[in-house]
Amino acid sequence: MIANGIFLGAIYANIAVGFSLAWGVMDVINVAHGTLIVIGAYVTFILFKTVGLDPFVTIPFSMALLFLIGYVAQKYLLNFVVKVGIFLSLVLTFGLDLVLINGVLLTFTGDYRSVTPGYSGTFFQLGTLTIPYVRLATLIICIFLAALLQLFMVKTRTGQAIRATSQNRQAAEMIGVNVAKIYSITLGISAALAGACGSLISIVQSFTPFEGGFFIMKAFIICVLGGLGNILGAVIGGLVLGLVETLGARVFGTGFQEAISAIIMILVLIFMPKGIVGSKYK
Amino acid sequence: MQGERKKGWWILGVLVGLGFVVLPLFIEGYWIRVLTSIFMYAIITAALNIIAGYAGYAAFGNIVFFGVGAYTTAMLMLRVGFYWWTGALIGGLLAAIYAILLGIPILRLRGHYFAIATLGINRATEQIALDWGSFTGGGKGITLPLPKMEIQNFYAMIYFIMLGLLLVTILVNYVISRSRLGYALRAIRDNEDAAEASGIFAPRCKIVAWAISAFITGVTGGVFAYWFSFIEPATVFDIMIAVKAFVMMMLGGAGTVLGPVIGAFLIEVISETVWGQFLTLHMLILGIIMVGVVILIPRGMLSLFGRKFSLAALWRNIKNQAV
Repeated sequence: MIANGIFLGAIYANIAVGFSLAWGVMDVINVAHGTLIVIGAYVTFILFKTVGLDPFVTIPFSMALLFLIGYVAQKYLLNFVVKVGIFLSLVLTFGLDLVLINGVLLTFTGDYRSVTPGYSGTFFQLGTLTIPYVRLATLIICIFLAALLQLFMVKTRTGQAIRATSQNRQAAEMIGVNVAKIYSITLGISAALAGACGSLISIVQSFTPFEGGFFIMKAFIICVLGGLGNILGAVIGGLVLGLVETLGARVFGTGFQEAISAIIMILVLIFMPKGIVGSKYK
Repeated sequence: MQGERKKGWWILGVLVGLGFVVLPLFIEGYWIRVLTSIFMYAIITAALNIIAGYAGYAAFGNIVFFGVGAYTTAMLMLRVGFYWWTGALIGGLLAAIYAILLGIPILRLRGHYFAIATLGINRATEQIALDWGSFTGGGKGITLPLPKMEIQNFYAMIYFIMLGLLLVTILVNYVISRSRLGYALRAIRDNEDAAEASGIFAPRCKIVAWAISAFITGVTGGVFAYWFSFIEPATVFDIMIAVKAFVMMMLGGAGTVLGPVIGAFLIEVISETVWGQFLTLHMLILGIIMVGVVILIPRGMLSLFGRKFSLAALWRNIKNQAV
């Protein structure tokens, strides 16, 4: 039970980390983030089916492709509107989302796809717990990616520039940060994380081009729960949501699950607008 | 000069209105339905304009009031035996009350947080309509009592109801834009703290604006339920309707009286005539239009009039607002 909750939470945290990065740094709600995850899943699907690559090995490929998509989208589209206000960026990413969903739909049709490597059914016993290897590996990769991102933000010059821009765009500009470029890199990283997340999700569940809406709803809730633009917040928010949903399904049945998490989100927004962890990148 | 020009616009407006009144005599059933649905989108967009255009609050989940109105009407007609129009009016009232109750806590949130909260409310309400099957019919939807009149007359009647509702909504927009409330809302949009500092009681203004918006959307939902005589959660809480309404509003010009209506007509006419031919590309093209509108004419089409139009100026605007 708890183990299932933690596993679900790790996936959720992974969904939210990239989304939260774009929101926190640029004040852009990237509604297309869910569909970027779906694209990552399709990258794994193709490489697995055609070249026969192990799904876990495909992660760098989907990250690279998604980084490119994110970078280009920010450089040639979003950079023109982020300064103006939230309406424009919201509608723009909604439009991008439609384009991406239907692009994927035209290429791959709406059929359910799944990636099933030979070891997908294997598991080991830990006391009374049954732990599938795939889930354990997914959990470890989720933790690794979050840690890597944290390290990147703290240790590298680019990461420091991103944090500086997030705190104060004008001040960052004044000390010589190329804000347009930093923004493009930020959305690139955010999209790359979505790609990794998609590759992982493709191993544990089947998917269609329309799955994005579900992921984006989860990302909203997690960001609100954990607090915005904060890696730790996304991780904690994801774990909390994973546990709440697993326990809630046991208590109330699966029916009202979504209504409950949406109501929890609204309550947190009203009473704890800064979330559990709060505060931006520091 | 200024006055004469204004008079010209008024005459043009009245002529267009009269044109739509006599139009059903000359067109076929299909086009009557198309126009009715265009009117419906125009009403939803103009209602959204009150909270999103004037007050600048991105109520992405505004379609929740449409669903509340539709379901109230359906329940009152089926379970209590009300007329459709009393059902629709009560549906509008309930939607407005819902907006007031939600607005008290939610309208304190700003920016993205408000947008997300409204999305969450829409989602939660839809889910309740889905899961409370014994009362609402659940995911299978519910069928309303059929009208006891000839089908042509029925469609013509709905056409005139939607047209009337649209005219009322435009009038409401006009009155608001000229009233103290309208000035207060625009002040809130431009700078809420400054507005409050200069004596505007922002919470009340925002709640009143959202309630008006919700009432109109709710009544429209009720008329829609009667018109289609079948509703299900997936259609009446469809977030895409709200997203489309946002695009229509921005295409025409947010925070103007006629902009949203013009935007709705443009998008829906294009959608019927062009995209109808390519069903699979429909949404793809809508997405491209959304991106194009946001980048090229962020202030809406009406902003292009008045000034001399030039590509150079357009390009300069784009460059200026880039990071």
